[in-house]
Amino acid sequence: MVKKYTYTPDIPEVFRCRVPLPETHQAFVMNGILREDVENEEGLTIVSNGDSGFVLSVAPGAHIPKNTQIIGVRDASNTEPVSFVNELNFGQNSESSILLCTHTLSMDEFNTESGINIELESNASVNIVVMQNEHNKSSHKVNFNITQKSGSYLRMNIVTLHGGAIENTINAKLTEENARCELNGIYLVDGKQEIRTSINMQHLVPRCHSSQLFKGILDNESKAFFSGKIIVSKDAQKTEAYQANHNLLLSRQAKVYAQPQLEIYADDVKCSHGATSGRLDDNALFYMRSRGIGAKEAKLLQQIAFVYDVLEKINNEQLQKRLQDLVESRLRGEFSHCSNCSLNCC
Amino acid sequence: MLIIKGLHASIDGKEILKGIDMSVKAGEVHAIMGPNGSGKSTLSSVLAGRETFEVTAGEVNYKGMNLLEMAPEDRARNGIFLGFQYPVEIPGVSNVNFMKTAINEQRKYKNLPPLTAAEFLKLMREKMAVVEMDNSFSSRGVNVGFSGGEKKRNEIFQMAMLEPSLAILDETDSGLDVDALRIVAAGVNKLKKPDNAFIVITHYQRLLDYIIPDVVHVLYNGKIIKTAGKELALEVENKGYDWLINP
Repeated sequence: MVKKYTYTPDIPEVFRCRVPLPETHQAFVMNGILREDVENEEGLTIVSNGDSGFVLSVAPGAHIPKNTQIIGVRDASNTEPVSFVNELNFGQNSESSILLCTHTLSMDEFNTESGINIELESNASVNIVVMQNEHNKSSHKVNFNITQKSGSYLRMNIVTLHGGAIENTINAKLTEENARCELNGIYLVDGKQEIRTSINMQHLVPRCHSSQLFKGILDNESKAFFSGKIIVSKDAQKTEAYQANHNLLLSRQAKVYAQPQLEIYADDVKCSHGATSGRLDDNALFYMRSRGIGAKEAKLLQQIAFVYDVLEKINNEQLQKRLQDLVESRLRGEFSHCSNCSLNCC
Repeated sequence: MLIIKGLHASIDGKEILKGIDMSVKAGEVHAIMGPNGSGKSTLSSVLAGRETFEVTAGEVNYKGMNLLEMAPEDRARNGIFLGFQYPVEIPGVSNVNFMKTAINEQRKYKNLPPLTAAEFLKLMREKMAVVEMDNSFSSRGVNVGFSGGEKKRNEIFQMAMLEPSLAILDETDSGLDVDALRIVAAGVNKLKKPDNAFIVITHYQRLLDYIIPDVVHVLYNGKIIKTAGKELALEVENKGYDWLINP
């Protein structure tokens, strides 16, 4: 029988995360501190990074089809600001999938700053899903630093379900040829929540490929900031780099600030960028209602449809389905029901 | 089933319907013809509850209810169906999911339990056969990438799924080739029953070769200027509208 949790003291009793899938390797990081080292025979290790944070390493050539889930939790045992750095190193020719979740378990005003340094050796292939689900008084800054070597492939999907003030800064450097980097994200904000996404995609050498697709749904007085920059260096010919940011505003008070930027110093490249903001489509709403679908449900369907293409990019089907369910219940407003119970687990 | 009295409607202050009177009984097929801009599509939109139109006068009684007071979804749940002239594309919502939501929302309204997955698939297969629709349509986004003919067939498919009492087909024949026209018409004929009714809005007589109307109305400048039997459609085909407009 597969054990559902590799680490058990008291966490599972309070923590009923719906994300874990059967046969997932799991590790818990409580207030920045790794609870237990992980080492498995397939070539994956997770150890502490000094006093806080962790180092995850995938051995060269290792193929790990199962998801590895790392659950970062903030709880009442430490309500001080916490800052730590995690290292994720993927060896040559390795293949792996990582799920990074962040949660808050109590209603304290948490301040968290985490660095996530991601290094892909040549021909490493990595899928990372980041799921952020924190309460309204939580502020979390995440600094992603990505370095990719030749022929490596990274697909990172960031799903921001809930959080008071979330800031994702991504610095990606494609340092050797034929690296491919795909960044996708969904952010769902309401109330007075704020989400900031800053991306700096640096094409330093020829023949690399990058794409960014970020979509957000904003309700009430929430705010979203998206600033995405693609920099193509002078020698980085044959670069392909794309960026898109689309926003759906459900209220007149919600605001989105989008800053798509391209800096191109090479002359033989394919690049595009674009940002849009819009509201629900009245024609589609009427169409759905004319079939008997209630106005509320019709609006919800349209919202789910809006972010659907981003979720579709999550390669693991089972995980994709789970996240679709979470996004749906979030859009149905079910998260706020249990904000008082502080588990934020639904 | 449907009684319209002195219906006036406008959009952005411009009056489009200028006093419509008509009544439709169960088992009947009514055709509404008329030149462009006469108000045919406005009438169908107003009956389905589109909020961009403002009803300024008149009343519509449907099965004893004041139709104009009902939300579009409640009209649908009580058996009104509008086949769109321009069916809307909804990327990201698959046909299956769309229909499942529609059927189950309607069932919920009627205090019926949702269909099980097996029941739903059976129903879907059955109704897709009615309009000779390929199974691959079901997983695609609603109307996304469909040709004009496929979109119209999808409308008839949805109608077959929802089994309305009163179906209003707004220029379902526009943009259809003869084969698609025959499939659509056959679909409508298969769904015709003594307890339901159709209002077929069309430009041309062509569709009425396949769907035989009991009553034909000619709409011009927001008013019904002539009502007669199916022979009126032929007369319009031969003589145009001029003899009706300037008698």
